[in-house]
Amino acid sequence: MVALVIVLALFFDFTNGFHDTANAMATPIATGALKPKAAVAIAASLNLVGAFLSTEVARTISGGLIREGDGGIQITPVMIFAGLIGATLWNMVTWFLGLPSSSSHALFGGLIGAAIVGAGFGSVDFSVLLSKVVFPALLAPLTAGLVAFIAVKIAYAVTKKRQRNGFKHGQVFTSSLVSLAHGTNDAQKTMGVITLTLIAGGFQATGSGPEFWVIAVCALAIALGTYTGGWRIIRTMGKGLTEIEPGQGFAAEASTAATILASSHLGFALSTTQVSSGSVIGTGIGRKGASVRWRTAGRIALGWLITIPAAAAVGALAAFVALSGTAGVVIDTVVAVGVIVGIFVYARRNRVDARNVHDEPTVLVRPKRSRKQRQADEKAARKEGSAS
Amino acid sequence: MIDWPAFFVVLVATLVAASAVVTLYSLGLRLVDRSGERHAVWQRPMGIACFVACGLVVLYGVYLVIPYFHQ
Repeated sequence: MVALVIVLALFFDFTNGFHDTANAMATPIATGALKPKAAVAIAASLNLVGAFLSTEVARTISGGLIREGDGGIQITPVMIFAGLIGATLWNMVTWFLGLPSSSSHALFGGLIGAAIVGAGFGSVDFSVLLSKVVFPALLAPLTAGLVAFIAVKIAYAVTKKRQRNGFKHGQVFTSSLVSLAHGTNDAQKTMGVITLTLIAGGFQATGSGPEFWVIAVCALAIALGTYTGGWRIIRTMGKGLTEIEPGQGFAAEASTAATILASSHLGFALSTTQVSSGSVIGTGIGRKGASVRWRTAGRIALGWLITIPAAAAVGALAAFVALSGTAGVVIDTVVAVGVIVGIFVYARRNRVDARNVHDEPTVLVRPKRSRKQRQADEKAARKEGSAS
Repeated sequence: MIDWPAFFVVLVATLVAASAVVTLYSLGLRLVDRSGERHAVWQRPMGIACFVACGLVVLYGVYLVIPYFHQ
């Protein structure tokens, strides 16, 4: 059971990595400041480094959301397992749709769902859920958006048009800073999950920090995920929300980095994903002549809204099955692997990768195209090709 | 329920930091640019100074990211 949780946790870490490449690298890729492959390589190495730099693991991975410990409930490896299934599957679905959504929220959601099934509604502290998750989720994009709006106004007021290409060089540094900050935060979650499981399974002393091998594999998993690159999400963030010029990209990244650093050091944690989406939209409003595609923004916001309930639903279902015994755990594993493989295979039908990441998505990534539509599209493409 | 003072501090700090980085870098770009019509001698060194200052702000960010430095 413990081994199974560790494997699943590492896979979650991997999905976390490719989900969040976009936060740092969507804008430099969109403006051409960095080549797509180079961008994901930088992000991956900084995530790897970041994971080793900071190993302050939260004692409670759920941050007080679930009343664990003395007088509360006992979180069992089975519940963590179910929670991880919920989180991982939801990450896969949002990746497939090209939606940037918070991996932390998916993890919280999955664990909440599993805890409710495993220990009843009383196990979840809903006031903490509101104050630590729901309100920050509203404030994060607003804060980052406002700051980015002002930043882009400054950038365009100070520079002249012909000078603005110079922002591309700056983008390399600002986006790297975002990547590094992300690396120091996100691998910690998985380290926390694995350490908690090891403690619960009796393999490690209570209250001890993560073992070195845990840090190493988590760092590798998130870096690998980052390098694989969530091209679908990068396309949504870089091309789907607004068209991004170098000056805008620079302003957006500076705002994202500043917001993340300020919030994590002054005690008001905000989600990286929501902050960077907010920044991109903010610069879209702030630059004259840029338009924001509110439809896409609306879809993203909707995705955020349902992340916790959706991951909780899957987590609850998985917990319900898993708590019935060993057979339940096996069923869960088989179904989860089946769904993940299914999504990967299905996603191949319209691939987004380093080569076509610059294409304009019409309505995000279209999940499904009928054969008729595809033929029509191909015909249109051929026509265009012969015309030009 | 929600820690407004903490949020306000975060908002102000973010605003100051992001504006500082963007202003310095933009000023640097503007001053270093040589293709302009008038170009005084002091402009280029000033521009480079802006870039350096901007780099220092970013380095301070790196310092904040790495807990090893400030524990």
